[in-house]
Amino acid sequence: MDLVIQNLGFLAKGAYYTLLITVVSMFFGLVIGLLVALSRLKGNRLFQWIAKCYVSIIRGTPALVQIIIVYYGLVDFGITIGPLTAAFVALSVNVGAFLSETFRGAIQSIPKGQMEAAYATGMTPWQTMRRIILPQATKIAIPPMGNTFIGMLKETSLVSVITVNELLRSAQLLVAQYYVYLPFYLSIAAMYWIMSTVFSSILNSVEKRLSKYD
Amino acid sequence: MIKITNLSKAFGELEVLKDISLQIADQETVVILGPSGSGKSTLLRCLNGLEELTEGSIEVSGLVVDAKDSLKKRKKIIQKIRRNTGMVFQQYNLYPHKTALENVMEALIVVKKMDKREARLKSEEMLGKVGLLDRKDFYPSKLSGGQQQRVAIARALAMEPDVLFFDEPTSALDPELVGEVLRVMRTLAREGMTMIVVTHEMKFAQDVADRVIFMADGCIEEDTKSEVFFSQPSSERAKKFIKQITEHVHGE
Repeated sequence: MDLVIQNLGFLAKGAYYTLLITVVSMFFGLVIGLLVALSRLKGNRLFQWIAKCYVSIIRGTPALVQIIIVYYGLVDFGITIGPLTAAFVALSVNVGAFLSETFRGAIQSIPKGQMEAAYATGMTPWQTMRRIILPQATKIAIPPMGNTFIGMLKETSLVSVITVNELLRSAQLLVAQYYVYLPFYLSIAAMYWIMSTVFSSILNSVEKRLSKYD
Repeated sequence: MIKITNLSKAFGELEVLKDISLQIADQETVVILGPSGSGKSTLLRCLNGLEELTEGSIEVSGLVVDAKDSLKKRKKIIQKIRRNTGMVFQQYNLYPHKTALENVMEALIVVKKMDKREARLKSEEMLGKVGLLDRKDFYPSKLSGGQQQRVAIARALAMEPDVLFFDEPTSALDPELVGEVLRVMRTLAREGMTMIVVTHEMKFAQDVADRVIFMADGCIEEDTKSEVFFSQPSSERAKKFIKQITEHVHGE
């Protein structure tokens, strides 16, 4: 236990990277997810097809493989990126695919009458999407989004393989130094758990705020 | 004025409207009656572009949409027509994430680009008109069906449309709530609003409509003054329809 306390600063730094990767990837994942969902629902055939392929490929391959491809694979094309950037890219692209399916489902679940009512008052499709459909869809999407985010938080541990010093790799480095396993792994497990819980409660309060009209 | 010329509408193989031609003058209140599946709602929805025309043309507020026009041109004109018309739906279709007042304000701000203060005043005036000013800060889920439908009418009215379309506005309401909605519609008709109403409310058709259009199988079977329709219907189908409806009302 003393070892953990001695090295808390080091672990905290790992936790910081885990959190950073999660938040950055979540942000870009949301943007990608929304764009892909809209392409699939409202885009022309080409966009729909691209979106569909993207989702299918990302969902059908392991995140670990995607991370390795982005970090080691892109070098073959002359693109060299740092491990942290590779982590951001791989996880954003990964989570974007899952979120796009969540958004698509949520948008489709809004009754057609909402769109018709907005159109009938002269709103354009874009105004209708932004002001009428998306606000309602967001509320529906929040619970499944929460699951994706927590999954994402835990998936960041995968980027330890490309030498990003996130939480898991921090623990691994300490284990290698001191040859004790359990205290380090237990403490990072606790840290993951605390972060997940905080995320859940933030999402819960957002959901509650959006539910004021029920 | 509204002018429909040789309008046909098909959903795939199914012909819902067959070569309909019709004119409606300003300030007229027209009720469209007919058995379900006769194409009444589809006809109404063609007039503001919620359904595409298969053939023929429509003219609303001087704007003409022809089925032969390019998609781009049709979209553009439909957008303009929608600014000049209002629609009230069977399921109210209020925006659940907005209060009654915000529901009315929405299009004023987004479509008419009114500033917020002005839109608020206008919306309050409209809610007052349908007797719901005291409910302006309520979300739709906290309003009864009749109140929701009155907010929907206020929402349509606020845009100052040339014509209002009502698509079975009372069909989803509990019987005791129908009256409050019909009262508002009656007032509008009296004030000279041009209205096209698809409904099963015979009493409303009899008392308020200037004119009744009776549809069956996608065709107009009868188009006469309301008094004439109920006292001396000419087609067999209209006679049968009136008989069925009145029997239903009297529970025989």
